[in-house]
Amino acid sequence: MKNLLLVLVLLQGTSLSAQTLLRGQVTDRQGRSLPGANVLLKGTYDGATTDTLGKFEFNTFEKDTATLLVSYVGYEPSEQRIFLQGKSHTFAIKLEEAASELNTVVITAGSFEASDEKRMTMLKPLDIVTTAGAAADITGVMQLLPGAQRVGEQAGLFVRGGSGQETKVVIDGMIVQNPFFSSLPDVQQRGRFNPFMFKGTAFSTGGYSAQYGQALSSVLLLNTTDQTSNNGLGVSLNMASAGLNYDVANEKQSLSVVGYYGNLKPLFALVKQNVEWTRAPEFTGSSITYRLKTSKTGLLKTYGMYSDSHLGMVTQAPLDDDTRTGIRLHNRNAFTTITYTDRFADGKWLLNSGFSYSHNRDETTFDGANFGGSDERIQGRAVLTRVFEKNNTLLFGTEIHRINLQTAYNDQSYALHDTYTAAFAEGEVYLSRKLAGRAGVRTEYSSLLNRFNLAPRLSFAYKTGEYSQVSLAAGQFYQNPDYRYLYLNTDLNFERADHLILNYQRIKDKRTFRIEGFYKNYAHLVREFTNLPYDANPYRFPWGQTTNGGHGYAQGFDVFWRDQKSIKNFDYWVTYSYVDTRRLFQQFEKLATPTFVSNHNASLITKRWFEKITTSASFTYSYTSGRPYYNPNNERFLSDRTPPVHNLSFSASKIMTIKRNFTVVYLAVDNILNTRNIFTYRYTPDGQTRYAVGPQSYRSFFVGMQIMLSKKAVVGKNDV
Amino acid sequence: MKKILTISLALFFSANLLFAQSEKYTAAMTAALTDFDKSQNKEPVRDEWLALANRFERIASAEPKEWLPRYYAAYAYSSLAFMGNNVTEKDQLADKAEVLLKEAIAIAGENSELMVLDAQIHQVRLASDPQMRWQTEGPLFAASLAKAKTMDANNPRIYVLEGTSLLYTPEQFGGGKKAARPVLEKAMEKFATFKPQSPLHPSWGEGQAGYMLGEASK
Repeated sequence: MKNLLLVLVLLQGTSLSAQTLLRGQVTDRQGRSLPGANVLLKGTYDGATTDTLGKFEFNTFEKDTATLLVSYVGYEPSEQRIFLQGKSHTFAIKLEEAASELNTVVITAGSFEASDEKRMTMLKPLDIVTTAGAAADITGVMQLLPGAQRVGEQAGLFVRGGSGQETKVVIDGMIVQNPFFSSLPDVQQRGRFNPFMFKGTAFSTGGYSAQYGQALSSVLLLNTTDQTSNNGLGVSLNMASAGLNYDVANEKQSLSVVGYYGNLKPLFALVKQNVEWTRAPEFTGSSITYRLKTSKTGLLKTYGMYSDSHLGMVTQAPLDDDTRTGIRLHNRNAFTTITYTDRFADGKWLLNSGFSYSHNRDETTFDGANFGGSDERIQGRAVLTRVFEKNNTLLFGTEIHRINLQTAYNDQSYALHDTYTAAFAEGEVYLSRKLAGRAGVRTEYSSLLNRFNLAPRLSFAYKTGEYSQVSLAAGQFYQNPDYRYLYLNTDLNFERADHLILNYQRIKDKRTFRIEGFYKNYAHLVREFTNLPYDANPYRFPWGQTTNGGHGYAQGFDVFWRDQKSIKNFDYWVTYSYVDTRRLFQQFEKLATPTFVSNHNASLITKRWFEKITTSASFTYSYTSGRPYYNPNNERFLSDRTPPVHNLSFSASKIMTIKRNFTVVYLAVDNILNTRNIFTYRYTPDGQTRYAVGPQSYRSFFVGMQIMLSKKAVVGKNDV
Repeated sequence: MKKILTISLALFFSANLLFAQSEKYTAAMTAALTDFDKSQNKEPVRDEWLALANRFERIASAEPKEWLPRYYAAYAYSSLAFMGNNVTEKDQLADKAEVLLKEAIAIAGENSELMVLDAQIHQVRLASDPQMRWQTEGPLFAASLAKAKTMDANNPRIYVLEGTSLLYTPEQFGGGKKAARPVLEKAMEKFATFKPQSPLHPSWGEGQAGYMLGEASK
């Protein structure tokens, strides 16, 4: 018995001594050796790290079959079954580089992103609040980007020859009915949303995804943050308003509440106004955000806001007769969204869904007459995405909107109801790391027009070098005609734009160069026939006969260069956009460049961080070439041009602690050189007198501070 | 008789195998930890840490039920991430560390040491692009340390990480030597009484804490 055990032990010992020698070399696809790669037999202690030449050598007692695994960070691991029988084996193993943002192409034509999540973007969300001349307003910064232009007297994003109405603002997939504060004639208003609400912003200059519609030129996509970054109470105080915000969060849920009151009277007492205010803007508002993690993967976000504002002024330029007219506005606006996102089956399926309701009421009196209106939008949306290997995706989705509009003109009331539905599908395919394509299709139905449309979209990207790539996008885009026309004629069809965009970009070491050329064709634009001379009043009610007989084009290119590397703590970017566009639409008698278009737009943005005094400073210079304006005394339609608009602005913010409370103090100066900018000219109805329409004030300044009454607040220079 | 023999043989083999396996594990870990301690207490050398990461990963591959080799491999990758040449490389190394950390958590559940390691991975992500990641990684770093504290407030490595982070945070943002010193002193206090569960359990950090305390006291 004892002997038997001894024999067994000996046998076990001898069996262990039969070793197999494994050796070889690990290289990349080009044959360059990979030192430090891990080579091992799966499930055993046997293995080695490759030496400086990528070579390895080790012995194993394993027998028969085993799995040889080679791994190296940054490369796809390699696995192979091997047969061990005591003889030595030599391996030549080639590893494939893993896909990363650096070596994989991205579809970029027509898109300009600011995101923390993706590194290869040209902007960061923080750039939005630290850029001088933008007044911490999202659209203010977007107007400084290539492809966009500045139209001083109107709110909205004007992209590549498109009007402000051709751009839709979308929050978490939901169209925002009233993205800007309600305005009076020739007064530009800010966006309603605080830039800190968003984790990512994507500004499209055209050729955008089939997921979005109802915008002939552009979409501005805003994605709200998934969590609050600070806990506690914050106070903001500036020359125009005072606000409180409170954030509280735990692992599962978070709540943010904001309330503010503002009155521009004190500011107007200090900054000379070009406008005669009969009631300085006064506004109150509040918002509430609640986020709940419903599971490991599910997230429910609800956001609701309400604001109420009053203002009154004497119009800058006469609109109706030769006496200047008093106009007053009381606006009430509510907007809510609920979105739910989730992942299923190990991330193979993604769901994005949402519901939104908005209500807006403008009580406007114009020379005492009621001019107001209201609008309402209810929308629901669901998108399912299937994620395949190698980041290939296929998505499909649907959305439905109910839009109710009501307006008053000359004490007569008009109403419209539209049910708009859309369905879309889109696939993104990486043929290799160098070549990717995206193809999508969108179909829409409007009950008001009683018509369908079908819009194909296509884009490609090809990586031309280690840091550079070219990208191409083409597609068709539809939009309902301006609702002002539909009040009297619901027989109109969708308006259409066709985009073609070619883009080249190079991103290396915090230096970015991008150039994009485009051609845009406009078809089925609404034309209005009044049998009267052109009426330049932007707020006139279109009473003439309308058809879809209009058309037009826009072509041009834009350039972007950003350098964050050459000088430490210094960042600058330059943009230049050129557009050539002509249209036959609205009351135009012939093809002409619309009044909102300037052919050349350029800007230089500089930012510097001063570490010692914890202050960041920014200068922005922007140039907008002259725009056409309507001169009733000139026989050549829209052939007059305004002088160009120059603006040099400055902003600075300093971070400090006051009694251990983190505080940011900021100062902004707009139009430092006090340039007498003119945006457009208007004529009295008799055509005798010309009035200039300019900014509400020339040189102006603004001071404010933000205090976080929270000891827990962890804040960096980039929170400024 | 035959039956008894078979059973006892079977028992003998399995016991032998088990014993051999666990002995092999202890031996491999002890040897690797000797090198780990050497590399831990001097200027970091990339090749050493890469070799360590590979070594612990190999042990992990042979021991699917042990969390410690995964813990140390993840630690090694997070150290490598600090040394990466660019943000992409640093992220790839941090991603790898995170995969190993998740494996360890799947085996052992969350514990104070793993939460400290989780904080360290957030710290390296933060350090690789501080301008852009303050808002996201900063709170995650703090949250992981807070969780580690609730699980074992006597774990000295919590205070090593917290103190180091404070030392390199500018005063305006609530950091600086003054703020770091008491935390690092606390780390040293905790080390004085700290006993690892076994020689294989984490025990690093005293040297680092001592060095940082020296810097903070300058």
